[in-house]
Amino acid sequence: MNEERYILFDQYLQGELTVDEKNNFEKQLSEDPTLASAFESFKEMHFQLDNKFGKEAEREIFTENLTRISDKYFNKKKTKVVSLKPWYFAAAASVTIMFGLFFFDYNHYPNFEDYNHPESAYFTERSVSEETLKKAENDFNGKRYEKAIPLFESILKENNSPEIKYFYGVSLLQVSKYVKAETIFKELESGNSVFKEKAKWNLALSKLKQGKYKECKEILQTISQDYEDYDEVEHLLEELE
Amino acid sequence: MSQNKIHPDQKYIDGLAANDSVVIEMIYKKFAPKAVLFITNNSGDKDQAQDVIQEVLILLFNQAKANKLQLTCPFDAYFFLLCKRRWLNELKKSSNKGVTIYENVVSINESAHELIAQAEEFDEKQKLFDSMFQKLGEKCQEVLKLSFTLKSMEEVAEKLNVTYGYVRKKKSLCVGQLTEWIQEAKNFNSLKNN
Repeated sequence: MNEERYILFDQYLQGELTVDEKNNFEKQLSEDPTLASAFESFKEMHFQLDNKFGKEAEREIFTENLTRISDKYFNKKKTKVVSLKPWYFAAAASVTIMFGLFFFDYNHYPNFEDYNHPESAYFTERSVSEETLKKAENDFNGKRYEKAIPLFESILKENNSPEIKYFYGVSLLQVSKYVKAETIFKELESGNSVFKEKAKWNLALSKLKQGKYKECKEILQTISQDYEDYDEVEHLLEELE
Repeated sequence: MSQNKIHPDQKYIDGLAANDSVVIEMIYKKFAPKAVLFITNNSGDKDQAQDVIQEVLILLFNQAKANKLQLTCPFDAYFFLLCKRRWLNELKKSSNKGVTIYENVVSINESAHELIAQAEEFDEKQKLFDSMFQKLGEKCQEVLKLSFTLKSMEEVAEKLNVTYGYVRKKKSLCVGQLTEWIQEAKNFNSLKNN
């Protein structure tokens, strides 16, 4: 092994060479492709080592968190398909029915709150003032919709992006400003952004919240089956039957 | 690459790098079902699907941490393809019997292909590096590990109870050893591919 060479590489990377030595080394690199290629590999090894050990602690924390979320996700899925033994099922059903007989209010309509799960905002728009955007995001995620609304309004003056509009609409719906909210969702619905189907869903939720069940149902029927939360759509449709 | 516009879905990559649970949960909710369906339709079970997805997300985390991932295509296509290719590799490794693949043709653009190639290259390089690191002597492994975890080489020397000069030299030579092995592997690969 060419020991001198690697000691020199290391000194160069650590910035320990004198100006003359440094210039000399760089001249050699430009003239000697074998040396240059060895130096490239040496740097790559540095990169790999730094990646492996320098970030090890972070990687462990990430993997732990990831495993937790992954298990949660897959277990949740599993319980859906778990096969209940028929008699358990019968027992569970009869208990439900008995409770139902006691507590059923016979005017059963689906409830807005059961379907109301606003997702968290996570903005990456760069073209507007970062600070306002961050504030709006925090207020929205913290369910402080009254505070988030004016922030969204000021952002929309600068940047009329579907993402911001969507979260603005959701905030309006949360505080029951139906007319404004529905205008926003209708605009999104006629557009072609990724929020198109979501906008329809929220429009339906708005009708649901106002007790306009028939209109709610009609809107639900226009939602594409490709919509990511279509199971919720189906569920609500069943309840409306 | 850099002239390509970064896709808004970069937020998922940034979220992974930041270990943001909300984003990770969103990725599972939105993108995992398609990969799970593909794997379970192609001789795999749920547990295997879970592993493949987790491995792909760790790969993306590593790549993002190394600042080597700028998404120029939708995350959906990128993530699905990575899972799919990883699963097909698993199948190839584990069985000699013919494998029939059931899938819908997914149309993807050039930049997705390019990104996939980059991710796989990143993964391979890392694996190659890991296997070489394991070949190093115990002392080398220890010195390197400490050199890249602790802040200064003085601390490394103190910890190992040796002189500063010794650890500096040892570190250079151990990285040198890795360098030589990696160059041999590269030469071997270029011979093999020509």
